[in-house]
Amino acid sequence: MGVTRRQLLRFSGMGMLGAVIFAGCRIPDREFIAESPVLIPEDLVEGQDAYFATLARPSTGVESVLVRVMQGRAKKIEGNPDYPMSQGKHTAQAEASLQELYHPDRIATPLRRVGERGSGEFESISWEAAMGELQAKLSEFSGNPGSVAMITEPLRGALGTVASRFASNYGATQMAFEAVDQTVVRAALKNLFNQDRLPIADVKNAHYVLSFGSDFLSNWHAPLHYNWQYGEFRGTENGKRGTLVQIEPRFSMTAANADTWVHINPGTEGVLALAIADVILKEQTGNPAGMEALRDVIEANAQDLPTAEDVTGVSQAKIVKMARDFAEHQPGVAIGGGLAAAQTNGLFNMTAVYLLNALVDNIGKKGGLLFNPEAPLKDVESSAAASSLVDFQRLADRMRTSQVNVVLVHGADPVYGLPGALQFRRAMKDNVPFIASFSNFMDESTAMADLVLPDLVPMEGWGDDVSDPGPGYESIALQQPVVMPFVDVRSFGDVLLATAEGLGGDMTRGLPWNTMKDAIRSNAEELFKLNRGSIQQYPSFEEFWIGVLQRGGWWDTKATSKDSTKAKVDTIPGQATPTFSGAAAEYPFHLLPFMSHSMGDGREANLPWLQATPDPITTAVWSTWVELNPQSAKELDVREGDILEVTSPKGTIEAQVYVNPATPPNVVSIPMGQGHTFFGRYAEGIGSNVMSILDAVSDADTGALAWGATRVKLTLTGRRSRVPKFEGMVVPRQLHERPVYQISKGTDHA
Amino acid sequence: MQQRPTLTEIDINRDLLRPTLATPMWFYGLMMFLFLIVAGALGAFAWAINHGTGVYGLNRPVMWGFLLVNFVFWVGISHAGVMLSAILRLANAEWRRPATRAAEVLTVFALGTAALHPLFHLGRPWRIYWSMPPGYDFGRGIWPDIRSPFVWDPTAISTYLTSTALFVGLLLIPDIAVLRDRSSGMMQRVYSMMSLGWRGNTRQWKLQIIAGFLLSALILPVFVSVHSIVSWDFAVQIAVEGWNATIFAPYFVIGAVHSGVAGVITVLALLRWLFKWENYIRDDHFDALARLLIVVAVGWFYFFVIEFMMGFYPNEEPELSLRNLQLTEWPFNAAFIVFALTAFFIPVPLWLFRKVRRNVALMFWTTVMVNIGMWLERFLIIVPSLMRKQVLTFNWGSYNPSPIELILVGGSFAMVFLGVLTFVKFFPIIPLADAKEGAIMATEIRVGKVMVPAAYREE
Amino acid sequence: MAIERKWGMAVDADKCTGCQACVVACQSENNIPINESDHFLQRRAIQWIRIERYWEGEFPDVKARFVPMLCQHCENAPCEPVCPVFATYHNNEGLNVQVYNRCIGTRFCANNDPWNVRFFNFWEPVWPETLRNQLNSDVTVRSRGIMEKCSFCVQRIRRTVREVTREGREVVDGDVVPACVQSCPTNALVFGDLNDDSSQVSGLSKSGRQYRILDQLGTEPAIYYLKKVDPNAITEEAHA
Ligand SMILES: Nc1nc2c(c(=O)[nH]1)N[C@H]1C(S)=C(S)[C@@H](COP(=O)(O)OP(=O)(O)OC[C@H]3O[C@@H](n4cnc5c(=O)[nH]c(N)nc54)[C@H](O)[C@@H]3O)O[C@H]1N2
Ligand code: SF4
Ligand code: SF4
Ligand code: SF4
Ligand code: SF4
Repeated sequence: MGVTRRQLLRFSGMGMLGAVIFAGCRIPDREFIAESPVLIPEDLVEGQDAYFATLARPSTGVESVLVRVMQGRAKKIEGNPDYPMSQGKHTAQAEASLQELYHPDRIATPLRRVGERGSGEFESISWEAAMGELQAKLSEFSGNPGSVAMITEPLRGALGTVASRFASNYGATQMAFEAVDQTVVRAALKNLFNQDRLPIADVKNAHYVLSFGSDFLSNWHAPLHYNWQYGEFRGTENGKRGTLVQIEPRFSMTAANADTWVHINPGTEGVLALAIADVILKEQTGNPAGMEALRDVIEANAQDLPTAEDVTGVSQAKIVKMARDFAEHQPGVAIGGGLAAAQTNGLFNMTAVYLLNALVDNIGKKGGLLFNPEAPLKDVESSAAASSLVDFQRLADRMRTSQVNVVLVHGADPVYGLPGALQFRRAMKDNVPFIASFSNFMDESTAMADLVLPDLVPMEGWGDDVSDPGPGYESIALQQPVVMPFVDVRSFGDVLLATAEGLGGDMTRGLPWNTMKDAIRSNAEELFKLNRGSIQQYPSFEEFWIGVLQRGGWWDTKATSKDSTKAKVDTIPGQATPTFSGAAAEYPFHLLPFMSHSMGDGREANLPWLQATPDPITTAVWSTWVELNPQSAKELDVREGDILEVTSPKGTIEAQVYVNPATPPNVVSIPMGQGHTFFGRYAEGIGSNVMSILDAVSDADTGALAWGATRVKLTLTGRRSRVPKFEGMVVPRQLHERPVYQISKGTDHA
Repeated sequence: MQQRPTLTEIDINRDLLRPTLATPMWFYGLMMFLFLIVAGALGAFAWAINHGTGVYGLNRPVMWGFLLVNFVFWVGISHAGVMLSAILRLANAEWRRPATRAAEVLTVFALGTAALHPLFHLGRPWRIYWSMPPGYDFGRGIWPDIRSPFVWDPTAISTYLTSTALFVGLLLIPDIAVLRDRSSGMMQRVYSMMSLGWRGNTRQWKLQIIAGFLLSALILPVFVSVHSIVSWDFAVQIAVEGWNATIFAPYFVIGAVHSGVAGVITVLALLRWLFKWENYIRDDHFDALARLLIVVAVGWFYFFVIEFMMGFYPNEEPELSLRNLQLTEWPFNAAFIVFALTAFFIPVPLWLFRKVRRNVALMFWTTVMVNIGMWLERFLIIVPSLMRKQVLTFNWGSYNPSPIELILVGGSFAMVFLGVLTFVKFFPIIPLADAKEGAIMATEIRVGKVMVPAAYREE
Repeated sequence: MAIERKWGMAVDADKCTGCQACVVACQSENNIPINESDHFLQRRAIQWIRIERYWEGEFPDVKARFVPMLCQHCENAPCEPVCPVFATYHNNEGLNVQVYNRCIGTRFCANNDPWNVRFFNFWEPVWPETLRNQLNSDVTVRSRGIMEKCSFCVQRIRRTVREVTREGREVVDGDVVPACVQSCPTNALVFGDLNDDSSQVSGLSKSGRQYRILDQLGTEPAIYYLKKVDPNAITEEAHA
């Protein structure tokens, strides 16, 4: 049978077509699921993972976390679901501590300075040599112990105990540095309620929250916990929804989430709080006992409504409404801090604000202000107050008069973080003979050091923490090593203990432990003896020890504060009205700096994830920007990206304009955290440090830095460059049709 | 009509084979120059492969930019070939003769160049075969998704390219035979191979003519499909409000014809000027082509207005903001004005004048203008629509072409011109046979009521 | 299996504070390359989940609205049919899956994704040697030239299903927790099976505040947003 060429072509063509169609009809499902290791057979490569509870210590507050560890490497951080302050949640900052752990610029060995001081040139040395040098220096000055200054971050827990006992045994000056501290709030709470520890506002049960400047959803006290509480507070699905009023001269993240943002003149929050209190008094809507106790002090200090309106810029109607809502919608809570405290009259403001709570008698009650009891152990510090600006001013003066011979610095970067007006860097550089740093990164203060003894990161070592603020009852979180360090570093606590041992004599008084692990374990033994709280069921200490490490800590929900809830206050300290550095005529704008949402005061500027995390309001990243009202921008004839000189009476920095529709016209805002000259590849040379132009003005009563009390002027440089940010090229606003976000007016949708 | 000069076969052969048999020096210089630009563009592409798609100015949400604009542009130009050859051949329009091959050759090179753009554009160009008919990697389970226009694009373009190349080759056979007879050495061997034993006998002529008609007819649906499919690259996208229009297919096709025919006129004018072919590409040819263009341009403009107005019609903000961007924001407003003027408002009224239509210089510049305008038209459709994709204003963005993209776009023009020149170097760009037929037909005779070409009469 | 799973999410706009915890959690879980400054300037930063911030009103009556935005895992995903090589497809659990090693980088799908949640790797991602220790071995590191996007943490779904099966039980609501959901401190994000009537997410998907963004396009997103509640809304109530 002959097949012509034509037929052959035809048949084979048809055959091919048929094959394609036939095969196409049953594409095996698995062909689509070629999605990478996600689906590799489980006996092939997949490693075993394990989760360990430990602590992450970002600048926003210590968090109890679970770390997923595979093959000796930490892979992922998650909130500890058991620990009351964490509730299984964690912040961006805690997540980023993985990058601290594996940072390419971590200090890997002890270092000795070789270049000029401050040049950042070091050589590697052994731990033996480093410890020897440290000990030799401390012996050298033991005759003049006060000339040794130890500057740390505010330390709590066992490390706090070790550090403070070490300092006091030696006789050293101990200072705690935090760029944005809580000194004023603590002082107000001490005056009003005799509290040493920070209270927690029971936002989740509150119906009404009046917040004066406390940016508690971003960077204030315990933002993780407050965010969780806020989620419960907004529990529309549970049939209730609280109201949040944010009173602040800047549109913070908390203001953005508030039901009402009350824009107020900087530093007049106290006047407003007293006006509110006065309305409550007059209308007799508060708690009778509370009103009676505070009647005199309120009447003596409150101004009449028209004056209050004039001073604060908040209308009388709004004041009255807030007063009525606050009294009516109890349980409610008034909290304050942030910019309201960072003024020359900070203590006045804070006292007036926290007093509102006593007026409605919400203290220690559901939905009110909950005090935190001390930890039930003698060897752990429960609270950690920072030294004030005035303390540091004194230290700098002592340095200049050569009264400081040794500075030991750990976990704090005062060279970067103190206001430029203090000239702290100069003083340290020129006048201090010996500086040792215990930092694991080459920050500005460490770059000044003669000797660097790098610390572990929290995931590598032992530690604990008494949450401050705590959840309203006793709680201690534990930190255990979950990975081995890849670098040659030692825990700060261990180094202090070994040095104390080496120095001998009185130095070991109250420090019976060889290592931090000993300290933690012996504290746990004390806890075990209490036989109460979250881990009661364990028959032996060893089981308890394992249990407490597995759960990440210990807490006792019944152990609430027994302190008196009555406010005792006769006068309100300080001035009703604030003063500012810089005359309004020459410096037309209030400079309201704010902690970067992701990098805080700059302590995390070295972590690329946090540099790249958009600011919630502007979405800007990797830069320093100055937020301007659209009207002000128009008057200055600038637009986004124009580089401005921001000049205060104490200095000048450059920042890129970001036109923010929510910035008040008389205000400019600049985030903290950038402008590092050291601190690794991801931080150096980015933006400018707003702290460097702050004047050294402080709260009159506590001496705390009034970081919201400097005024500035703006000048054009004529240069511009685009602002790195996540949002697009137009100001994002909702189009009228086809809305993206939708609003429900009522709360009755549940 | 001007007086037609009498041309003998000898004249025709001498004149039309001049670039091939007696190539002037400047011709090599020009080719060298274009070659350098093409080499630069290939270097730019190598750079892009080496460094990644990041070297382009693309971003989120503007994921397609100049390369896609240029792709659409060259596919558009390629529509000249079929429009002039196939349609006019089927319609037996006498004035098509000198233009047909130039149009087909332009088609081949424009299409070939266009086909390179997806390669430039891909994130992983070395995997492009996964979406192309001969390359489907069934063995690895890489199935083409026939719902995607990007599967039909390569199919349509490769079909169009193959059929056009066949068309050119088929019609070239008699002319190659002439070259075979006039060349020597290696070239002669090559030409004799390519002439496939053409001897010019009756059967061969008959077959060639029938095959030409058949190919013309078969190519027509491909012609319509190619740019329709290219338009679906855009029109299927519900996410891009500015593209999601049902009118896109015919609108793109007629736009392609507009720019393609203009492109052919530009090439013809250039050739006539370069090789002094006034006797072959005569003023009346330009006149006829320009009349065709008027019709096409008005048709295209009608579609454009409809499409553009549709954006306003629903009175919805995303579309309005797109129109606002296109009309009022720098540099799109400038691009829009230049586009409107050059693609329509300057040339079309000018062509209404017989003097203009018969003025080669003016025809050259007006048709160049049309293609500037048509390039901008594609740009204005593609890029602003992506910048204002949907109501999520948070993501509205912008796009700046990178130097690499500019070099690739510039290189594509050099590539097409180099292709046409290379063709001109080796083959007659004006069909000898057609020209001769045309010359003979000048003496065509009337048989009854029918005009019979003299060439046939001789049979 | 009686009923097929259909994974979905609820996003409570009333709870989201814009804190960005979800954003960094996703970066960490899914090996998303470090977004350097230049990547933002080039508008090529990759964030599988992002917080879109919209302005409303003018000072002093100004509001900022946060909208967490991630792949909506559309039932009728427009990104899918335009992909010439089936690199993105719908699986039988309602996920819009991205198959990295199939993708040839046409970026067609990204154009046809109305939510702009597809991210193209314009550059080869680089991590300094030490930072690579953190990379999640359950998730591929994507090379340049391909598309990526939120996977609903498919690796967690797979792992959980496998582990639960090993335990000899069925997956129940709350077993699978994507990284962003896990971190979200306000519990604004809720993940689960929409086909399971008893799951929290299907409850929320029937809430009176429920809506879907760009619902009118008919792509059937698997993410249900819950309207922001604003007693002092500036604009008149928007209609779906
Ligand atoms: N799914 C579905 N599709 C359908 C149909 C169906 O039943 N279901 N029906 C089909 C039928 S029968 C029809 S007729 C078509 C209708 O289809 P379209 O004509 O698209 O109908 P509409 O969407 O009603 O109106 C179009 C636009 O006109 C705008 N408009 C309203 N009034 C005016 C005006 O005065 N001036 C201007 N400039 N614009 C105005 C509206 O805002 C709207 O955006 O749909 C067809 N398609
Ligand atoms: S949201 Fe976008 S990427 Fe996700 S499935 Fe829908 S269209 Fe595709
Ligand atoms: S970019 Fe990749 S996934 Fe997207 S359409 Fe192209 S090939 Fe498909
Ligand atoms: S579900 Fe997983 S992949 Fe998707 S955004 Fe959340 S964390 Fe990222
Ligand atoms: S983690 Fe939750 S609250 Fe924070 S931005 Fe993401 S969705 Fe919003």
